[in-house]
Amino acid sequence: MRIVCPMNAILAPRPLWPIRLARRVVSPALFDFWATRLNPLWTLEQPLARLVSRSQASRDAVTLVLRPNRHWQGMLPGQHVNVGVEIEGRRLVRSYSPTPLDDGSLAITVKAIAGGLVSGHLARDARIGDLISLDTAFGDMVLPGKTDDLLLLAAGSGITPMRALLRSLAARGMPIKVDLMYWARSRDELCFVDELDALAAAHPRLHVRHLLTREGAEPDPRVDTVPLDAIAALADRRVLACGPGGFVQAARHRLDGQVAHFDAEAFSMPAAAAAGDEGEVQVQLARSGRTVQLSRGMSLLEGLEAQGIRPRHGCRMGICNTCACGRQSGTTRQLLTGDLSSEPSSQVRLCISAPSTDLILDL
Amino acid sequence: MSRVRNRTLSSAELQAFGDELDAIRARVTADIGPRDAAYIRRIVASVRWCGVAGRALLFLGAFVHSVLIPAWIAGVVLLALSKILENMELGHNVMHGQYDWMNDPKLNGHTYEWDIVATGENWRKTHNFQHHTYTNVRGMDDDIGYGLLRIFPEQRWRPFYLMQPVIAMVFMVLFQWGVAIQELRVGRWFAGKKSTAQMRDDFRPVGRKMGRQLLKDYVVFPLLAGPFFLPVLLGNMLANTLRSIWTFIIIFCGHFTADAEVFPKESIRNESRGHWYLRQLRGSSNIAGGKLLNVLSGNLSHQIEHHFYPDLPANRYAAIAVEVKDICARYGQHYNTGSLPRQFGQVIWRIWRHALPSRPGKKLRATEPALQGG
Repeated sequence: MRIVCPMNAILAPRPLWPIRLARRVVSPALFDFWATRLNPLWTLEQPLARLVSRSQASRDAVTLVLRPNRHWQGMLPGQHVNVGVEIEGRRLVRSYSPTPLDDGSLAITVKAIAGGLVSGHLARDARIGDLISLDTAFGDMVLPGKTDDLLLLAAGSGITPMRALLRSLAARGMPIKVDLMYWARSRDELCFVDELDALAAAHPRLHVRHLLTREGAEPDPRVDTVPLDAIAALADRRVLACGPGGFVQAARHRLDGQVAHFDAEAFSMPAAAAAGDEGEVQVQLARSGRTVQLSRGMSLLEGLEAQGIRPRHGCRMGICNTCACGRQSGTTRQLLTGDLSSEPSSQVRLCISAPSTDLILDL
Repeated sequence: MSRVRNRTLSSAELQAFGDELDAIRARVTADIGPRDAAYIRRIVASVRWCGVAGRALLFLGAFVHSVLIPAWIAGVVLLALSKILENMELGHNVMHGQYDWMNDPKLNGHTYEWDIVATGENWRKTHNFQHHTYTNVRGMDDDIGYGLLRIFPEQRWRPFYLMQPVIAMVFMVLFQWGVAIQELRVGRWFAGKKSTAQMRDDFRPVGRKMGRQLLKDYVVFPLLAGPFFLPVLLGNMLANTLRSIWTFIIIFCGHFTADAEVFPKESIRNESRGHWYLRQLRGSSNIAGGKLLNVLSGNLSHQIEHHFYPDLPANRYAAIAVEVKDICARYGQHYNTGSLPRQFGQVIWRIWRHALPSRPGKKLRATEPALQGG
């Protein structure tokens, strides 16, 4: 997913006094080592969750229910959460849009992507009791107290934030008109069919339409040609779209100037990083809020310095690790070996890495 | 002083030498995985269990007087062992970023804080950057004698150094404190080259860390033992001192043996990767020993491999060493290794010898041009 400005969903309650005392006296590393021996969720600060149940959501998707520990600060329906699992000694992090359940658990629906390390692990290998790390929830596809009527556009896994939004609206008695258009290739790839149909049956203001682009003699139209005559008062609607980058782009183009608001979130598919070192890319610095154009032929450190930005650094040859910084998304090329790396939320050394695609760095 | 003759490498040979060493890095990097993660987690567990067992044994005597002395001795040994492991195999290596690939916030090179009086932040600067980039380059690597000792004849002699056999002993016992104030440049402050305001700013985080460490080992834990305050205090003090002595020995063996060389500042001008490797090789020395020595020294028994690949997981050095040794032999380069008594004997000899005026030998000068060429 490709969303930037993180925001705290819900303010955490003040921790209990034994925890406040422990935080002053011992380090999280020491506390966690002993406390997690008693219960793997008893950490001093780190939000963690345990996998408590799993069920098939569609032919190729699984819904996992996670029970977080007390450090989890909660989320608003429609937000995303970085979820981390340990695979082969590495903690790999991906964004999912969970549905908050009434008992405080989170339900994430995971579709195994071909070659996807984390999705494959969660969909196939994750077992009840496994530990999963959680980061702070983020994302702007949320519903403020009073909102315009909605048009929700979802493709594939893009349904997950919509489901969370619809459940929360249903709990409030569906105060506004909502139309959901949900695209998938075939019927057996649809998730939450029964649940969505039941919601639509219970709430006359909600209309749900499934569109299947590769099934039947006459496949349903894609977002760029889909007729919107059935949507009442389109011009007053707020549109939320979620799906692959191409889908979101087509939706934006289709609705340009016709609706009140358009908010979207796209999965950033592992970009097919072009080889070579020509051209420029956009590098977003998440902490300072700046965005700069950098050459693909130059190390990130040199490129940033040429822009007047001075990240901390040392040896300039990939030895001392001073310039290592987090790469939230995008692909970099290691200049000594030419290897490409695109693992989200991992460390990259600025002095020996050049950008291959647009990047988001923790700077 | 060097008694070894290294073959002078042509620039093509130097390039090939660097390429072969780079190839090892690439291969090991690609192979890093669950085995290495399990190893460092095992080390973390050893540190914790040894530490708790050591402290428990130190307390035991307070309640069971009959085992006072043996329990106290065992407690000191285990606590010292825990502190040595935490300092060397865990802290030093994690702070190099060797386990950053695990993406575990508790094993992150930038945030790890170790259990000694020196702050992780200062260490990352003086050690990871200055010492590892400019290894044994005079005027750039502060680890050459730590501004206190004259280890090499290339350092200018002053009458002060006549006292260095004694100073070295004191430094060894208080080594963790020496490391803690290294980045403060107390000498420059005394000489008036650094303002007192700056000194105060620099000292604040160091002082906080020192206070925390002193409070933990010399106030809180002894107080927990109640009437047994003094034995616990002394036990903790001895464990810290043993750790200081051990780390001093290992670290001095790493760069100050008889065959280790120092380099002038000019040597790093336009330094190629091959040159850089060569300088690391000539400035470093290994300690031959078994697995136990490897673990207890934080794998600095493979100082050469550590300087070639400071960011690769240290548990790989022993296997890498076999290949590095072979490469060095093929390129006619001396691979400096020896037993702990032999290497440390050479360090002691250097400390005594260069307390007195001395001049660089001719052979060393003959090897330098190899490191100066473009």
